[in-house]
Amino acid sequence: MRTRTLLGSILASIGVLVVGWQAGTTVLGTTTVATPSSSTGGATTGGSTTGGSTTSGGSSTSSPAATPTSAASQTATYTGTEVNTRFGSVQVQVTVTDGTISDVTALKLTDHDGKSVQISNRAAPVLREEVLAAQSASVSNVSGATYTTQAYLTSVQSALDQAGL
Amino acid sequence: MRTTFESMGTVVSLEAPAVSHPLVRRVFETAEARFSLFRPDSELSRVAAGELPLTRAGSQLRDTYARAVLWRERTDGAFTPNRPDGVIDLNGIVKAEAVEAAGAALTAAGWHHWSINAGGDILVADAGHDGAPHLIALADPADASATLCAITLAGPRRAVATSGSAQRGDHIWRGGSRTPAAFVQVSVVADDIVTADVLATAIVASGRDTLDAVCDRWDVDVFTVDRDGAMLATPGLRAALAA
Repeated sequence: MRTRTLLGSILASIGVLVVGWQAGTTVLGTTTVATPSSSTGGATTGGSTTGGSTTSGGSSTSSPAATPTSAASQTATYTGTEVNTRFGSVQVQVTVTDGTISDVTALKLTDHDGKSVQISNRAAPVLREEVLAAQSASVSNVSGATYTTQAYLTSVQSALDQAGL
Repeated sequence: MRTTFESMGTVVSLEAPAVSHPLVRRVFETAEARFSLFRPDSELSRVAAGELPLTRAGSQLRDTYARAVLWRERTDGAFTPNRPDGVIDLNGIVKAEAVEAAGAALTAAGWHHWSINAGGDILVADAGHDGAPHLIALADPADASATLCAITLAGPRRAVATSGSAQRGDHIWRGGSRTPAAFVQVSVVADDIVTADVLATAIVASGRDTLDAVCDRWDVDVFTVDRDGAMLATPGLRAALAA
């Protein structure tokens, strides 16, 4: 249970990061609103744990619908809106018991082209030999910094164009 | 059928059925007539000179400007549509937009095998199920008569743009910075040519931090060459290197 809780909080952190990053940097238009789907106690107090990182509002307007998970303590389940990331869509459900996160479930994790397993897309040093080894006789175009019409005349692109390939 | 023509101060190399060539030329001529700051009578020149308020400019000019401003925000200012003196300069985006529009026109006309290379910014047709992948060479910034490597464009990856100082010196505005740019050449491979072109320009303008931010935020592949000739590549770019 302890491991599960620990894992849960890590997932929650990732979820919050993804949500915050998404809201802060791109314009996909998806805002995240925590929706309490169940509540046994009176006021739901844990909302800030999930919804607080981005936009507020909305959480108080949704009506509780799902089943309570525990009658003894105050437990609420929050389902985040599906968020589009560049690796696919992500949706997370968080259960809050007595004001602390007790469980996090990934309702939807990306499997878009298997890219979810790719942790970093950052550029890293690449050996000159490896680069220069990648040649082909059948290239059709050359991408380079924009050449002037004069510089074009002596460019590789000009040779390709004259060859009519 | 391959043809070349001059536009926007550079040369456009077009590989497409001959009957479609006028269509592409027209797209570039229209864009140049509207956006060139080298033509005093262009719409953008009149805006820059204060003769025409931006609010009264045509919708296409305003759309392009709005798009450029959006990219300025997305790149935290690394890409900007304004020169240091305040004049609107949309050169950083109009060529890519013309390539994009020309490609869309070719596709709409039913052509499925073509490539457009506007001064080093390349867009290819969606290869489709039977099309062979396009092989593109990346220029060697140290030697105009050589190329560094060949990469494969396949699937949704249809665009590659390269920015740098190799051909025209430091022509990219870098916020008044006098220090040399970290990268002499940056190539970005993306699904669309405007994204590729803008991000390549932004990375040249702002260096390593912007490179990392771009790789984190966008689904693109990047290849850079720095002043010493050292190279960086994203995993996707390495995978695209021709075997």
